[in-house]
Amino acid sequence: MTNRVSMLGITKHFDAVKALQGASLELHAGEVHTLAGENGSGKSTLLKILAGVIQPDDGKIAVDGSELTFNGVRDAMAQGITMVSQELSLVPHLSIAENVFLGHNQTRGKFGIDWHDTEKRAVEVLKRLNLNVNPKDEVASIPQHEQQLIEIARAIASDTRVLLLDEPTSSLAPNEVAALFRVVSQLRDEGTAIVMISHRMSEMLEISDRFTVLRDSKFIDTSPRAGVNEDWLIERMVLNKPKKAIHMEKKNTTPELVLEVKNMTDRNGAFQNISFNLFKGEIVGLAGLAGAGRTELVEAIVGLHPRQAGDVVVLGETIAHSTRATMNAGVVLVPDDRREKSTIRDMSIRDNLLLSIHGRPQKPRSKKQEEKIVADWVAKFKIKMSSPYAPISSLSGGNQQKVVIARCLETKPKVLILDEATRGIDLGAKAEIYQILRELAAEGLAILCVSSELSEIFEISDRVLVMHAGDLTADLDRSNIEESDVVSAATGAKK
Amino acid sequence: MSRGFKLPRLSSMPAWFGVLVLEILLIIGMAITQPVFFSASNLSNIVRSSAIPIILGIGMTFTILTAGIDLSVGSVLAFTGILLSGFITHMPRVSAVLLSIVITTIVVGGINGLLIGKLGLNSFVVTLGTLGIFRGIAYLVTNGTTRSMDTGKLINTLGDGNFGPVPGPLLVVIVVAGLSIWALRSTYFGRDVYAVGGNEFAARLAGIFTSRVKMTVYFISALLAALAGIMQVGRLQSAAPTAGAGIELAVVAGVLLGGTRLSGGVGSITGTVIGLLFLQTVQNSLTIQGVSSYWQQVVTGVLLGAAVLFDRFRANYSGRRKSREESNVTKE
Repeated sequence: MTNRVSMLGITKHFDAVKALQGASLELHAGEVHTLAGENGSGKSTLLKILAGVIQPDDGKIAVDGSELTFNGVRDAMAQGITMVSQELSLVPHLSIAENVFLGHNQTRGKFGIDWHDTEKRAVEVLKRLNLNVNPKDEVASIPQHEQQLIEIARAIASDTRVLLLDEPTSSLAPNEVAALFRVVSQLRDEGTAIVMISHRMSEMLEISDRFTVLRDSKFIDTSPRAGVNEDWLIERMVLNKPKKAIHMEKKNTTPELVLEVKNMTDRNGAFQNISFNLFKGEIVGLAGLAGAGRTELVEAIVGLHPRQAGDVVVLGETIAHSTRATMNAGVVLVPDDRREKSTIRDMSIRDNLLLSIHGRPQKPRSKKQEEKIVADWVAKFKIKMSSPYAPISSLSGGNQQKVVIARCLETKPKVLILDEATRGIDLGAKAEIYQILRELAAEGLAILCVSSELSEIFEISDRVLVMHAGDLTADLDRSNIEESDVVSAATGAKK
Repeated sequence: MSRGFKLPRLSSMPAWFGVLVLEILLIIGMAITQPVFFSASNLSNIVRSSAIPIILGIGMTFTILTAGIDLSVGSVLAFTGILLSGFITHMPRVSAVLLSIVITTIVVGGINGLLIGKLGLNSFVVTLGTLGIFRGIAYLVTNGTTRSMDTGKLINTLGDGNFGPVPGPLLVVIVVAGLSIWALRSTYFGRDVYAVGGNEFAARLAGIFTSRVKMTVYFISALLAALAGIMQVGRLQSAAPTAGAGIELAVVAGVLLGGTRLSGGVGSITGTVIGLLFLQTVQNSLTIQGVSSYWQQVVTGVLLGAAVLFDRFRANYSGRRKSREESNVTKE
């Protein structure tokens, strides 16, 4: 039996970061194949390559035994390969029916597109997903999890032979997951090859026929369902995970309260009634699944988003709701998306680093002083660059992040909040950033670290907060904590 | 997927470099074929006619750098002239000039700045509105007629005359451009302008008062449009409600030609000056060649299109490397 798809020796670099090193994947017709691995192990990249979204540096892709090169999504679609990505790619102000058939040939009548028939067909597809919506409605008018199903409907509507699902269940409720899985099984029985990425162990084990594990951008193992259980997966996904903290020599003095977050509730419902404290010199990890409201929460704390209720109190003083006031009070955020939220791409490294300098009580008076500030940070954080006047985009992700952290620290904060501080950063730079955070905590800074990577949470945290669906579901002390505690709190599982 | 050939480092040159080369070639070409072009009086004419668009363009550069735009400059120019014509009979000329500039700046800058900066409305829509409003007021007040006036030496020098051996408008341009270059390069405000246009979210997060920065640039634009209005009166010895009608097209064209990016965050005053000087030289050359003024508008449009295309090409070229890293920063 030949494979429907085989990918061999796929290698992909993003500048200095190795996203994939000789990864392989084999897909049979009529199977559900789970691609497992931690965040950053290269799963999404591998799927994007198969979908033609990005092109590999090296490696072979064969469909039905014949070797092919995909120069774009069109090429992959011509082979019946469709991807449903994590980020929604719907057109919000077109109707549901239009979105389902976007990019596909719609029914044509005498006078152009036959909308009546198109809508009828859309309803049929949506029915298979157990979705009862009016195909004439705008996509923007239905909730996000239903939008996700529309996206899957789009894949089903075309003649898909290979369906790639990147975390399809992350924003779905249990009954919707069940509906999705029914469709997935149905498609499998019809002979479609399905690849799924999921972070929910139980789901993977429930639906999959075969597993392939990636770790640190490399292929690790592949096995049919029969030989696989939870331990098998974890063993391969995680290498030498530090189960207990390495830096536990905490002095047992009375902790000094720095930041109090009281009853924070988001206006758009991303989180409700969140309260927690942050003490001097501790690193607190904030864990949770994507969409749990963590990013919204930390952005609200620094005054970026309007909030319905709640207070931020620093050293006993309630802070006005604005970014500048929060910064002056000593709370700064390193946001999750360097490109969109923290760096200014067209500016030099130097200007990016000095961006917050107004926030300092004593602004530097001369260019020379500014140069010194930059030079000091570059030396302290070992930022690798050609010149401080080079654009920030010339740096690797890790070095960019160091610049952003330096910018925040230049305001002399008391609380540093980091959102996915090491996303898209290679392992070496990750370790450096962890080291920096530990040193800062030792100097007395209170640090809150949002992270979706459990290994990261375990690596750096003294205490772990967990959010699920907008609620704070756990506040766990580092000394007696198991991975399963965090996972169950993050997934909202009952104990 | 490298294509195997290497272009010169296009991305490392200043954006206005190409336009400067074109400008020099144009001057050389015209000097050879049309001796009258290179006469002192014609060159001074180019400088004088460029001054007003350049002053407007400098204000426009500030707004476009913050990812906004100010379409009202032509109307504001006319409005200030009319205001001056009203004041000038009642008070000393210096006071009349200052008063009209101050009033215009506060009123126009206030409206544009508050609506765009504070309330976050779309700059295109807001300034399209003020474009209509102030042009309309200028017509209403004058009933559509042009008001001649005795401008006196000061106003005349600003708009047309000489200050010693130097043309007055050139002096104004040098002072305004110099101050603006300094402000953008060497002040926190300047850095904030680029930051807001480059990434407003990041700028806000970095503690920059983004709304204040945006308000300020519309005040600057109004101030410079008012100054240009005074210069226009000095040049024509009269205030017309039609003054500067449609000039915003040429000004935006010149600013973009000079390498300022419409989406904000990238650009320079130097580029704007060169871009607008080039447009003016082209127009002057066409006039000398006897080409009709209708064609000159066509040429302006074509040059603008070419400049934007060129900019896109540059962006694509230098963006190829960046885009790889981008996809890396996104998920996984």
